[in-house]
Amino acid sequence: MANKIIFNIIQVFVVMAFAPLIKGLINRLKENIQSKKGQSIFQPYLDIWKLFHKNEVISEHSSWIFRITPYIVFITPIFVALLIPVLTGYPLFFAFMGDMLGGGFILALGGFFASLAAVDTGNPYGPMGASRTRMVGFLAEPVFMIVFFTVSFIAGSTIPYIVHKHWVTPLANFFEPSHVLLMLAFLMLIIAETGRIPVDNPSGHFELAMIDESKGLEYSGKAAALMKWGGCMKFFVLLCIFLNVLVTPWGLAQGETLWEVLLAIPFILIKIFAFVIILVVIESSLAKLRLFRITEFLGAAFVTSITAMVTRLLEM
Amino acid sequence: MQDYNVVFSVLTKINALAGGLFILTAFGIIAMRQVLASLNMFIFQSILLAASAFVLGYQHSSIHLFVVVGITIVIKTILIPYLLRRIISKEVYARREISQVLNIPTSLLIAVALVIFAYFISSPLSNVTNDIFVKLNLPIGLAGLFLGGYVVIVRREAVPQVIGILSMENGAFFAGISIAPDLPLIAELTAAFDVLIIALVMGILTRRIHERVGTTEVGKLTSLREE
Amino acid sequence: MELIYIIIIPAVLAGLSLIPAHKKFASIVTILGTLVIFILSLNIAFRAADGMGVVAIKDWISCDSLGALVLLLVAFIGFTAAMISMGYIEKNVEEKNHKKIRHYYAQYNLFLLSMLTVPIISQVALVWIAVELTTLMSVFLVSFKNTPEALEASWKYIVLTCMGAAFALLGIFILCWGISISGNEKFTWAGLIVASTNIPPVLLKTAFVFVLIGFGAKVGIVPLHTWLPDAHSQAPSPVCALLSGIETTTVLYVILRLLPVLRIHPSIGAEMWLIVFGLISVGVAAFLIIQVKDYKRLFAFSTIEHMGIIMVAAGLGDYASHYGATLQIISHAITKSFCFFASGIALLFVGRQDIASVRGLIRTSPIAAIALIIGGLAIAGAPPFAIFLSEIMIIKSGLVNGQYIVTGFLAFFIIIAFCGILFPINRMVFGKPTEYSGKTNLSVTNIFVLIFAALPVILLGFYLPRPLHELLCHAAASLGR
Repeated sequence: MANKIIFNIIQVFVVMAFAPLIKGLINRLKENIQSKKGQSIFQPYLDIWKLFHKNEVISEHSSWIFRITPYIVFITPIFVALLIPVLTGYPLFFAFMGDMLGGGFILALGGFFASLAAVDTGNPYGPMGASRTRMVGFLAEPVFMIVFFTVSFIAGSTIPYIVHKHWVTPLANFFEPSHVLLMLAFLMLIIAETGRIPVDNPSGHFELAMIDESKGLEYSGKAAALMKWGGCMKFFVLLCIFLNVLVTPWGLAQGETLWEVLLAIPFILIKIFAFVIILVVIESSLAKLRLFRITEFLGAAFVTSITAMVTRLLEM
Repeated sequence: MQDYNVVFSVLTKINALAGGLFILTAFGIIAMRQVLASLNMFIFQSILLAASAFVLGYQHSSIHLFVVVGITIVIKTILIPYLLRRIISKEVYARREISQVLNIPTSLLIAVALVIFAYFISSPLSNVTNDIFVKLNLPIGLAGLFLGGYVVIVRREAVPQVIGILSMENGAFFAGISIAPDLPLIAELTAAFDVLIIALVMGILTRRIHERVGTTEVGKLTSLREE
Repeated sequence: MELIYIIIIPAVLAGLSLIPAHKKFASIVTILGTLVIFILSLNIAFRAADGMGVVAIKDWISCDSLGALVLLLVAFIGFTAAMISMGYIEKNVEEKNHKKIRHYYAQYNLFLLSMLTVPIISQVALVWIAVELTTLMSVFLVSFKNTPEALEASWKYIVLTCMGAAFALLGIFILCWGISISGNEKFTWAGLIVASTNIPPVLLKTAFVFVLIGFGAKVGIVPLHTWLPDAHSQAPSPVCALLSGIETTTVLYVILRLLPVLRIHPSIGAEMWLIVFGLISVGVAAFLIIQVKDYKRLFAFSTIEHMGIIMVAAGLGDYASHYGATLQIISHAITKSFCFFASGIALLFVGRQDIASVRGLIRTSPIAAIALIIGGLAIAGAPPFAIFLSEIMIIKSGLVNGQYIVTGFLAFFIIIAFCGILFPINRMVFGKPTEYSGKTNLSVTNIFVLIFAALPVILLGFYLPRPLHELLCHAAASLGR
């Protein structure tokens, strides 16, 4: 019992500690593919450290929403990290608090506050980016719902720990057509939600074209550090959901000893690293979509998820 | 016996995977904006057809189906794209976008409705047998047939319409290899060559239209009417 | 053995036509070859009329009475159309382009070959391939004139027909499935009939609907008929005769072959499908005929109407209406081909295809005018021509059976089409003549062909030769079962 609480805390520390590393890894690999030397993979840590030591400048016209949002954006992924399988294959102490749907809503809460705060300051670029983020978000909602529903329908439960067992035990279940289609739909969803190419350019500096990055424009000092860190953790958490539940549900600790749980940490890092390589290849080979084409992209994701549901339902 | 069950289960899953991706490629042909991308989707679809035929051939131990695999790969993935690229002049392919009657998200939604309709039609048919391959291939092949027909209706250009017709044949064959695996070999061979001749004839006709009319937007050719 | 010759000869002719010999070599060779094919098929028809089928290779190539009927028609019209091509095609092609004429004859022979093989193959899967080939071999014939309209017509032709063929392919696969479920029969027409008691009805029904929709696109069933007026009017006239007269009939033969298979399970309601689609086709065609502006399109719509009539007759179910259907098949084929010959000759004189520009043909080119009048009266169903007999037979059997509504609609639509065909022809033939721009010398062969083709049209209205009558009886019986 106490073990489970300790494992939960270790899980949260893993998420907090390694999220900026993944961010640095992606940036470094993207630069390497373009034949540049690239920044060090620990650069996000250095950035966060630097930002914590700077003063904050806050607009006079902003309200309490602006001040409270960095904390919310920082805490929501931590909450979700308590619920999902990161290191262990069995539910931990706080896992009763919510299932996948709940986790999805908590992440959406963070995004909601970030959009509100972007409108709060009076900067013209903030609302522009916020409205675009909302557009992508509302188009992605049906896909989220259908993916989660289909996965739950197939596995018989909405708790991620039970769901991922369904793909693990009979290996043949892995190759079901609905599973493959779901993986594809969820991948497109991750690309849309975390603002990667082809939906959005995460390393662009041009405010007129920003979708997701614009939420962090107005912050400075400690708030900016929390926003950055929170963004990295959201990415990490989404990847954990994707990899540990759908794609590679192996390598999670099954036993209850500390040693096994610690052994699961390199496994999750390796899995994320492999996926990051794929993501970087996708990012480097596609161009950013024009804004109105994003609806087609998400429409394709929607259709893929519906096909997954249909092939599953009607095969019965 | 245990071994056989495991092998059988793996085969069904691989066939199911091929089927799911088959429908996805049919969606892809509808959703792609450029002609060459549609053509690549068609090639991928033919490879999936060959994969399913391979699995079924192994399952039924039928040499016919292995021959079908070989013919599909040679004709549909190699010869037909080669023909289509050679016969039709390059500038038809160089244009950025294909003109369509409906925009892509609407087309995709109609496509989903067609897939559901295909499943609905084929459910009384697949109740006739207990063969799990039939239960999978028949609805997906029928859906491929409908989606290919939809591509022909919705696209206004010549080459995407050709690709649509060829993907209809792909769909019919995908269903056919599971429900009629013992069709006489000569029928399979001639059907395959028939598809080749279709591509050849349509390619030559497209080239002629391009030379004579100047464009391959066959949707704009509407002069024969009772006005 | 003759069946094998029938397949080999057109293939050889196609090759021979490509030889760049004397100017008229290709046409003479084709005419002689088609004459031989006609004589061979007459022989086969006589043998089939005696009640026994002709078998060349068991389960692969054979011919029973219904097939012999279609084969005879294909051969006859192939012969007459080849004869009229001789004087016609050279006038339609630029000078010195003999290569194009040779290509025409080669494609003509290949097209004829594909249509000849449909009635004599017994393996159902190969029949599908033969029907596909009839499309593919005729596409370039339809686009022969190379005008944008001809190209548009041929594109619509191939796209709609190939779409239909893919549907029909799935239907045939389902039939093969049915046979393999029900036992060890071979996948031939005869095998289907034997095995049909064991095939689950849902399979038969779905397969029939797919084949009806798929091949129905080729026959010209509404609403898949949109290519037919275009293709059948833009092609050169001998090709139009082939397309309208026999190609649609051949594909309808394939659909009708499924009818005895489906009768075993009355719950399928195959006849109801045929009657409904047939009536809709006749109705739509009759109303569309009224507003047509091109006389070749007029005859093309009339093809749709007659195909609908044959379908309704086959769907009405009893022996007399099936006899009417087979008689209608013959009479329509010879009459429609004659109509297209007549319109081809008129086109040579007038140079334009629209009705409004043609007036007073009887004063400027009496031969064309008389041919048009005979053709128009015959196809509209006036006595004493053959179509009148078959239509009366169908309507009478419908009334005897008690199908008043169906027969009433059918008669109404036939009357509308009658008026729709005869008014424009009346206007074209009589009245004050207008100026024309066409070639005005008509070769002797053309006149001879017109007379030769008109003879059966007039003759069959009075007198049905005994062997032909027996052939029709056997064919109608095989539809019934």
